[in-house]
Order: sequence, then structure tokens, then C-alpha cells
Amino acid sequence: MLDKLQKSTTPTSERNYQLAKWVCFTIFLLLIAFAYVDVGTISIGSNNYNLSLIRLNKAIAYTIAILGLQVVIGYTGQIALGQSFFFGTGAYVSAWLIADHSWPFLLTLLIVIPSCFLIGMILGLPALRIRGLYLALLTFGLAAVFPSIVKLDKLYGYTGGAGGKLTSNYKFLAPSWLPFDEVAQALQKLPFLGDFFGDGPLSTREESRLWKFILFSILAALCFWLVHNLIHSRPGRAMRAIRDNETSAAVSGVNLALTKTLSFGVASALGGVGGAIYVAEIGIASPDDFSSLVAIYLIVGLVVGGVGTLPGAVIGGLIYALVPDWASSTQSISFVPERWLQGPTGSLILGVLLIVLTLFLPGGIVMGWRKFKNKLLGKELSTAR
Amino acid sequence: MAPLLLVENLKARYGPVQVLHGIDLNVFDKEIVVVLGANGAGKTTTLRAISGMVETDGRIEIDGESIKKSDPSEIVRRGVAHVPQGRGTFPELTVEENLKVGAFIRADKDINVDMEACYQNYPVLYERRTQTAGSLSGGEQQMLAVSRALMSRPQLLLMDEPSLGLAPQIVEDLFTRFITINKEHGTTMLIVEQNAQLALDIASRAYVLESGEITIEGKASELADDDAIRRAYLGA
Amino acid sequence: MTPSVGHIWGLDMDLFLQRVFDAITNGSTYALIAVAMVLIFKATTLINFAQGEQAILGAFAVLQLWYWGIPMWGAVILGMLFSAALAAGLERVFIRKFDPADHLPLVIITLGLFLVINAIAAIVWRFDPQSFPELFPSGNAFTYNNVRLSWYSIFAFGSCVLVLVIFQTLLTRTKTGLAFRAVSSNLESSRLSGIKVGPTLQFGWALAAAAGTLGASIYAANPVLQIEPSMMLRALIFSVTAAALGGLDSLWGALIGGLTIGFVQSVVVQYIPFIPNEMSLSAAVVVLLIVLTLRPSGVLGTKAVERV
Repeated sequence: MLDKLQKSTTPTSERNYQLAKWVCFTIFLLLIAFAYVDVGTISIGSNNYNLSLIRLNKAIAYTIAILGLQVVIGYTGQIALGQSFFFGTGAYVSAWLIADHSWPFLLTLLIVIPSCFLIGMILGLPALRIRGLYLALLTFGLAAVFPSIVKLDKLYGYTGGAGGKLTSNYKFLAPSWLPFDEVAQALQKLPFLGDFFGDGPLSTREESRLWKFILFSILAALCFWLVHNLIHSRPGRAMRAIRDNETSAAVSGVNLALTKTLSFGVASALGGVGGAIYVAEIGIASPDDFSSLVAIYLIVGLVVGGVGTLPGAVIGGLIYALVPDWASSTQSISFVPERWLQGPTGSLILGVLLIVLTLFLPGGIVMGWRKFKNKLLGKELSTAR
Repeated sequence: MAPLLLVENLKARYGPVQVLHGIDLNVFDKEIVVVLGANGAGKTTTLRAISGMVETDGRIEIDGESIKKSDPSEIVRRGVAHVPQGRGTFPELTVEENLKVGAFIRADKDINVDMEACYQNYPVLYERRTQTAGSLSGGEQQMLAVSRALMSRPQLLLMDEPSLGLAPQIVEDLFTRFITINKEHGTTMLIVEQNAQLALDIASRAYVLESGEITIEGKASELADDDAIRRAYLGA
Repeated sequence: MTPSVGHIWGLDMDLFLQRVFDAITNGSTYALIAVAMVLIFKATTLINFAQGEQAILGAFAVLQLWYWGIPMWGAVILGMLFSAALAAGLERVFIRKFDPADHLPLVIITLGLFLVINAIAAIVWRFDPQSFPELFPSGNAFTYNNVRLSWYSIFAFGSCVLVLVIFQTLLTRTKTGLAFRAVSSNLESSRLSGIKVGPTLQFGWALAAAAGTLGASIYAANPVLQIEPSMMLRALIFSVTAAALGGLDSLWGALIGGLTIGFVQSVVVQYIPFIPNEMSLSAAVVVLLIVLTLRPSGVLGTKAVERV
């Protein structure tokens, strides 16, 4: 396997290799989906850890939001701390359209994306004139204020106030032509591994979950593909130039205002999409799900995954979706006093991760992995990102 | 006789860019030595290397003891004062406070005496002593910057392009002052300049730095007569 | 019928005056935490997002000391010292490693500290609101009909002004203060003058933390409030807005900013009909937005600071 990595230098074999990689990954993903379509638990000691499609769908929502942060922080170098604002906006807009106007989920994205993009661009206007830290302040303030805005009496009709907006009336029905049942039954017949895939035919709820997972994954893949192309296009190079040295970028002819605004717009749009997916998964949009703490957690995901890397968003999303939940599922570890496990251990761990990684592994897990891989292969790590 | 400042095979870089490729220079006690060079030659880097602001390879010694691994605040305590390019005054602090900061490493009773002396040499600083340094003109800031450096009673004074941006008359007065300081206090000076004329007038020896390497060295008077130097740096 | 101060412009003057007093009271405590942010920003142009957390943690420490039987003001002083020591440690371990000019990692570290301190406070002291002992004599110094000026208000404001005067003296009359201002003014020249930048900044952090803790303690000592970890976010937003409004590098600006925010909270919000009460946090952020868009340097800050 290792020497296959080194030998694939010709373009066609390189392309085939990439294709094979992606096909394997997709199959692997589908297997995971079928395995965890029901609520799956891992047990360590006396603790049960939940790993289900619900969590994974949440992870996808977070991943897309973090992808947005990769664009604005990772690739353009702007300190934007308000992603929860757009996450929430996308969620509420989508929820409102689904609940009050019976729009199908995918259609709501057609509104969410442009509106979040626009709002992001407008709110990014101050960024053009003020220095990094002031921008951080401003965006943090926006994130802090979002729950209050949503709870305003005036907007009650749209947002449902403190109680939130329910969308659970909308069912994600899996199209009947998809052979979920057949695949599930076939997987159950596998020797050894068959047990992982549950028993019997899939219920409607399970099929719906599976369908959601696949749908969201496709959306996520689309987003990644788009961002990947953006990064390698001219605006993308302009963004990276701004990140590396704003004055040099301006001097080399980069239109600072346009590029920054674009970057803010894209990041906000992605945040909105993530929010829409989030609300599609959990069925309700409520104010405290979009607090400034969420904004900070998204940053944790960004940093731990790896700032300025695309796979980092995936890792970040997983960490955000799993760590706090698993931390509160941990009821007892022999050497840790119970008190420490009952409190907000999740946020403690995330905070510690954030600090430790910034100190020792600034490129996040992704960069750490790349360096490790290259050390194994004895290659020099190229500095281009 | 051992030099006060010994620099041997000094290399320095900013990130991946190598600025100094191994330079040698000496400054003996009570001398005034000048380093000439165009923009980007590495003059500022040389001084910053000596005062500990950049990482370096090679030897840097004061009085025979290496200062390569020391950080700037220690190097000041070894008697080296650095007037950076662009004056480096503290714009929000008053003139008097600037001088006090200059004397930061001292705890003796003569600090006020030195301040008085500075005011006598530069009456305009006395007039403006409660004004913020940022409100001073370029020439006044330069006087302040030099005075501040002298407040630490240094053995070696490093100066980075003191004439930059100043009117010719002010520059002349400034350089005359340097000679006086050198004669009266015995302060050794290493001055880095683009303005070769005046610099060579007051110096005993000079070096020419080009693209991170020393290309010429010798007595200042000889360099001033040299045709190549005249063309390159004196516009003759 | 008791005579009241009367009605001016249709406003009940009694209520109005009461609210103004509230504004000054709360504003003073915001100002103290804002001073903490200003100190750190002055020296390093860093906004310490964990400042609110540090302040409330300090207040909790004071509470704990009081539970252990230490008399009130002794507990406050000890709490401030604890806070200062902790901040000095934080600076040394986490902040000093980074280049002050590179903002992103530093912001992220302070966000991480925000999470960690928040979590630790909640783990140790739980989430339930607790009564904070009174720091000042209770009751009112001055009553006129329905207008009450409590001792608490007077002392809160007085403490704030006192702290500002002390800090101002420290900064302008001591050698360490001079070093601090030198570092704020020109980092490189400070090094070249022999100032040890690390310890100087540490001193700033310690001072800032002490001020924040005092502010949080006074805020929590308000007879009508109880202390709880969720105060931290509000403390951060209010103090950051106050600091920005007054000018992020101006000490007295922090007082102006704090009083203004207090004013916005107690007076403006009450009198403008379409802003409901719970929007006071948002009102603060709106002020922040306005300040940062129109005049980022704030009321008393130095203009140069904000330009890209």
C-alpha cells in the first residue's frame, strides 16, 4: 500500500487511485449507515456511548458550518467568531418555510443559501475597515445576540419564541424505489459482521433516517466540492493571499473588499446550510441551540480538525457532535471523582483540546496526521496549502 | 588589541530568506565605524543581530564575551544601546518619560544629571519635555532617540540610518553632535548609513555591505577617495 | 399624597432618577471589568475573551473564602490576589509563547480559556444561583420620597473611581507602570531599552484580573442579584462593549463606557417602547456594532489603533 503511494506518479494512475479511494470511502460510509441506522451503543466500562445516525447527521450539519469557517478563517485569515448566527438563521428560515408553508426541505435551501450569503456579505462590510480583533469582537457580539433576537415578541409568529419552531410534522420519507430493505437484509446475512446490521426489515423511521443521512452526505459532498474548487480558483488564491499578508495582497492587485466580502458570504451561506440540515435532523429550532457557545464550539471543531484544511471540517464536525455527548454519557471512570463528570465536562474537554492543540499542534489533527504520514514515507512536507 | 565588538561569519535570516551570508566586522574601543549600503543590503539586520532581535549563526562578542544567545534586555545591560531605524521613540510617552525609559536599567543617582546634560545639549527637548514624543518633528525625534540611547551610558552605540528623512542642516548638526559624544564620553559608535558623505567624514573606518556580504573595508578617508564608492554612494 | 419630584416631559421623575442611580451603579461594575480588558489591550492589542470568566471565577473564589469564614473584605482582597496570581500564571504558560502580532492563535487560546474556566466554575460551584454577601452597608444613604440612593450605589461608584485613580497612579508614577506604558507604546524599543517585556505583561494581566474580580464581586454583591456561572457571558459582552465604547486603550474611557452601558441598560431600554427588557444584552451589542462601525477607536481611545 505504501509503495503504491509512491509509485503512482502518472496522471491517469493518480486519477484512478483517487477514484478508487473515493469509491471505497462511499461504500464504507454506506456500511456505517446501515450498521447504525438504529441507535447503536458502544460500551466502555459501565458507560454507554451513543453512536447513531442522529449523531452523524448532526455531525454533518456541524461539518458544513465548520467548512464555512475554513473559508473565512482558514483560507482568508479573517477572525469571524459568529458562525452560530448564520447556523441559526439558516435553521430558522428553513424551519419557518417547512412548518408554516409546507415547503420541502431541499427547496428551503434555495432561500437559505442566498439569504445567508447576503446577510453575511452585509455584516462583513465593517470587516473591510476594522482590524482583526475588532472584527472578532463584532462577530462574537452577533453570536451572543442571536438567541435574544429570535425570542423577540415581534418575531413570535416566525420563530415560535422561546419554545422554538417545530418542524416534526414534515417527514423525510425515503423514496420507495430505493432498495434499503433489500440491502439491509442482504447485509444481515453476512457471516460474522451480519449481527452489526440489526434484525429484520427496516422500519419507516429507520428508512427515513438512512435516507436523511445519504441526502445530507450528498449535500455535504457537494459543499466540499464547491469549496475545493473555490479554493483553487482565482478568488480562492486571492483569499489565501489576504490570509498570508494583506498589504502584499493589496499591492499585488487583489481587490480586498470584494474578496473579503465574497469570503464572508460563502462562509455564512455554508453556515446557513448547516443550520438547515441541523433543524431537519432534530425537528425543532429553538433559541438556545444557537447561542454564542455554539459559535465557540464550532471554532473548537475548526481548530482541532485543522485550520485551513478541508478534511479538518469533517473531523471538527465529528468532535463537536460526539465529544460533549459522550462526556455527559460518561457516568463513572474509576479514578475520577463523580463531581467532575456531572458538570459540563464536555465543554471542559473541548476547551482543553482547543488550548492544547493551539499550543502544540497548530495545524490540528489533519496537519498532524499529514506530518506523521510524511515522516513515515520520509518525504518533505510541502509548504503550499 | 581586542575589539570591543567582534562579529565573525555572521549569518542571519528572516524565515526562509537569508539576509546576511557571513559577514565579519570589528569595532575597536572609542572608534566611530560606519557601514554603508543600499536598501536591502542587510544593514538594519546587522544591527538587529547585534542587539539580539534576530536569530543568528556565527560569532558576536562584546569585550570577548559572546552575546549571541542573549536577549535584547540583557544585551543592553552589557552596554550596547541601539537607536533603531525610524527613531523608535515612544510616541505616547512624554519626552521626559522617553528619557527615563532610556535609563531603565540604571538605578543610580546620576540619572537626573544625565537628563540635565541632555537638555543642555538639546534645549528644544527641554522646552518640549512634557509633550508627547509623537508630537515632535523628525529632527527632534532623532535627538530624542539618540539621547534616550545615551541615558543608559552605553559603551557601544548602534545607530540605524540617523539621517533618514531629515533636512541637511539638521543632519549636519546631528553628526557634529556624534563627534562630540564620541570625544567627551568615549562612546564607541557603529553607524549604518545610506548617506555616505557625512558618515565617512566623522568615521575612522568603514565597511560596505552589499546583498548581505561585506565587499569593501578600510579607512574612511580612503573610501571617501575611492572612485567606485563615490559613484555608488556619493553621487559624484 | 406625598409630593414627588414631579413630572418632566411626561416622565415620572422619581422613577427616572432611580433608574439613573441604577445606571451609575451597574455601570461602575461594568467599568471595572472593562478596565481589565483595556489594560490587556493597551499592552498587547489582545482582546481577552476570557476576561469575564476570570472575573466571575474570582468572585466565586471570594464567595468560597467567605464560606470558609474569612471576613468579607479580607475575602475580596484574597480573591483579588488569587485572581492576579492565576492570571500571571495564565500569561506565562499560555500567552507568552505567541507572537503578539499574530492575533488568531491568541484569540483562540482565550476562547479556550473561556470554556475551561466556565466549566471549572460550574463543576466546582454548580449552576444554582447563590447569594453573595453584601460588601457595603445596606440601606439607603439618601431618600427623597420615592427616590432611593442606596449606600451600595455610592460605594460601587466610589470603588470604581478609586480603582481607576490607583491604576492611573500606578501607571504614571511607578517604574513598572512606565515599563508597562512603554511596552504599550513601542514593543521593540522597549526591548532595546532593557525592559523585560514578559514580566511586564504579566504584571498587566495580574492587575487586570484583580480589577475584574473586584468588579465582579461588587456586581454580585448587589442586594437584588445572585451569583451564577451564566453571569460570565453577560459580564464579557457588557464589559467588552464598555471598553470598546470608551476606547480600548483608555482607562478613563472604560469608566465612560461602563456608565454609558449602564445608562443604556437601565434608562434607554426602559423608555424606548419597542425594545423589551431582556434585550438589554442585545442593546449592548447594538451599541458595540455602532461603535465599531462608526468610530472604532471609541470615545477616548487613540485613533491609530483601528485602521487596517
